[in-house]
Amino acid sequence: MYLRGSTKPRLEVLKMTEYDLAIIGWGAAGFAAAIKGSELTSNQMKIALIGYGPLGGTCVNVGCVPSKFLIEASKNYREASHPSYAGIKASASIDFPEFMESLNNFVSTEREGKYTNVISNFENIDLYEGLAKFIDKNTVSVNGKEIKAFNFLISTGSRTFIPEIRGLTNYYTSDNIWNIQKLPEKIAVLGSGEVALEMAYAFSNFGSEVHIFNRSNRILKGFDDDINSELIEALRSNGINFHLGVNFHEIKEENRKKTIVTSTETFTEFDAILVATGRISNVEGLNLKAAGISNDNGIIVDDTLKTTNPNIYAAGDCVRQPLKLETLAGKEGVIAVENMLGGGRTVNMNEIPWVVFTEPNVASVGYTEYELKKKNIEYSVRTVDLKNVVKANILKSANGLAKIIADRDKKIIGVHVVGPNAAEFIIEGVYLIKNKLTYNDLIDSVHVFPTVGESIKISGQAFIRDISKMSCCMD
Amino acid sequence: MTKTIELRIYGMTCDDCVAHVSKGLNEADGVTDVFVSLKDGIAIVKADNEIKPEDLTNLNVFKGKYKAQTRSVKND
Repeated sequence: MYLRGSTKPRLEVLKMTEYDLAIIGWGAAGFAAAIKGSELTSNQMKIALIGYGPLGGTCVNVGCVPSKFLIEASKNYREASHPSYAGIKASASIDFPEFMESLNNFVSTEREGKYTNVISNFENIDLYEGLAKFIDKNTVSVNGKEIKAFNFLISTGSRTFIPEIRGLTNYYTSDNIWNIQKLPEKIAVLGSGEVALEMAYAFSNFGSEVHIFNRSNRILKGFDDDINSELIEALRSNGINFHLGVNFHEIKEENRKKTIVTSTETFTEFDAILVATGRISNVEGLNLKAAGISNDNGIIVDDTLKTTNPNIYAAGDCVRQPLKLETLAGKEGVIAVENMLGGGRTVNMNEIPWVVFTEPNVASVGYTEYELKKKNIEYSVRTVDLKNVVKANILKSANGLAKIIADRDKKIIGVHVVGPNAAEFIIEGVYLIKNKLTYNDLIDSVHVFPTVGESIKISGQAFIRDISKMSCCMD
Repeated sequence: MTKTIELRIYGMTCDDCVAHVSKGLNEADGVTDVFVSLKDGIAIVKADNEIKPEDLTNLNVFKGKYKAQTRSVKND
C-alpha cells in the first residue's frame, strides 16, 4: 500500500535477513521463546530453532522429568518395604531393568507430548539440528549452512562440571545415569548440590549403600545452616553417608570396583560413581566474540536479558546467574522475546522458587538470612519446627522446619521450608513475596487443616505470639 | 532533513490491518510518508530527522495485535 504518492522502496533488509529470529538451543528457554514469539506475532515471526540432542533439552530428557520419576518410584519402593504405620506389614522387590525401561518410556512420552508435537503446530518455526557457531553478528553456521537472522536468542543450557581428580574415568553424570541397568549395591556421589542429593536420596531408597563426597564442608550452596543441618540429618536417617570437606587424592578401579582415596581415608567397593559437582554454561564453540557477546562463567546479560550485543539476547542456564532452573529458563525465554519486541520486562530472582526433591523436600523463595546479613539489610525471622504441624506428624515426617523472614515493615521477603510436600506449597511464598504481603496478611488467610502447608501460616503466627500457647487452627 | 525508517510489522493479516497500521503511523508527529506491505510485513516511514525509531515502535497501534521492530534507519 502506498500513501502520499511514495514510490515502492527496495526491501534490502529483508533480502539479507533470512529469519526474524534465530534461537540457539532447543531446551526450555528456546521452546518458550519460539512459542511466545509466534504468539506475539500471529505466527508471522519467522524463526530458526537450532539445537542438538533430543528436543526439549536437559529438563525433559535428563533432568527434572526422569529424576522426579526416579525419586517418586524410589519413595514408593521404600514405603512399600518399610511401612510407616503400626500394624502394617509388607515387603517389596524391584526388577530394576524393567523399572528403568518404564522411566525411559515415560521420558519419551513427555518429550513427544510437550515438545515434539507442540513444535509441529508452528509452521513459522524451522528446526536445524547441529552446533551453531557465530560467523558475524547476523549469521551463524550450522553444519556448514549459514543462517541469517535479525534477532538472536542464545539458550544453549548447561552441563555437568567435571572436576579434575586423578583416575576419575568411567563415571555417570545426570546425563547418562538413565542408561544404568543394574542397581548399584554401593554408589559414590561426588558433589552435594541439589542434583547430588536427589540422586543419592533415590538410590538410597532403592537400597543402595550411598556415600556423598564433597570438597566443601557444606551442602546446598546458598542455603542457611539450619536448613542444611535439617536436611543432612534427614538424609542420614535415610541411610546416606556424608563425607564433606574431603580432599580427593585419586580414584582407582580394579575388577569393576572403584576405590576413592582422599587425603585422610580410603573408601572401597563402589559399583558406580555419579559426578554431580555443579553445572557450567554451554557456550564453547559458539564463537561469541564474532557476535560481540561477552562471557564470564556464563553469558553476561543486563536486566532485560540483552547481551553485550543489543540485538542478541540470552536466557536460561547459559546465562551468568546463580539459579539454573527449567522454570526460570522458560520465563526468561518468554521475557527475552517480549523485550526484543519492545518490552522492558525483567526477572526478580527473589520471586523464583526452587526445590530439592529429597524427602523431606527443601523449598525456598526469597532472601536467606545469609544474603541479608551480607547486604546489611535489617530483618526479623521466625522458624517453626515441623513437630508443631499436625499433618507432618500424621505423615510421620516431622523432621523439618518452616522459616519466614520479614523486613522492618513486616513484609515477607523469604520463605524456606524443609518438609514433606514442600514443593507443592512453596508457591504460597512466591505470592507473599511477589505481592509484598506482610505476615499479618498471611495470618489473616485461612489455611486448610491439616496440611503441611499450614506450617507457613504457623511460622507467620510466630511473629505475633508464642505458638506453644496456641490452640489448633487459631487465627 | 528527513530520515527513512524501516520497520518489521508483525500481526497484519488483511488490507484492513494495513490500513490500521498505516493510519497509526501517519498520525504520529513528524511522519511525512508511509508505505506498508502486507506481503512482506514491513513499513517504510519517512519522518522528520528528530523522530527516533522507538517513537514509532512505541505507538499505540503497536501495543496490541500488531508488533513493530526497527530494521534500519537511513538519513535521506
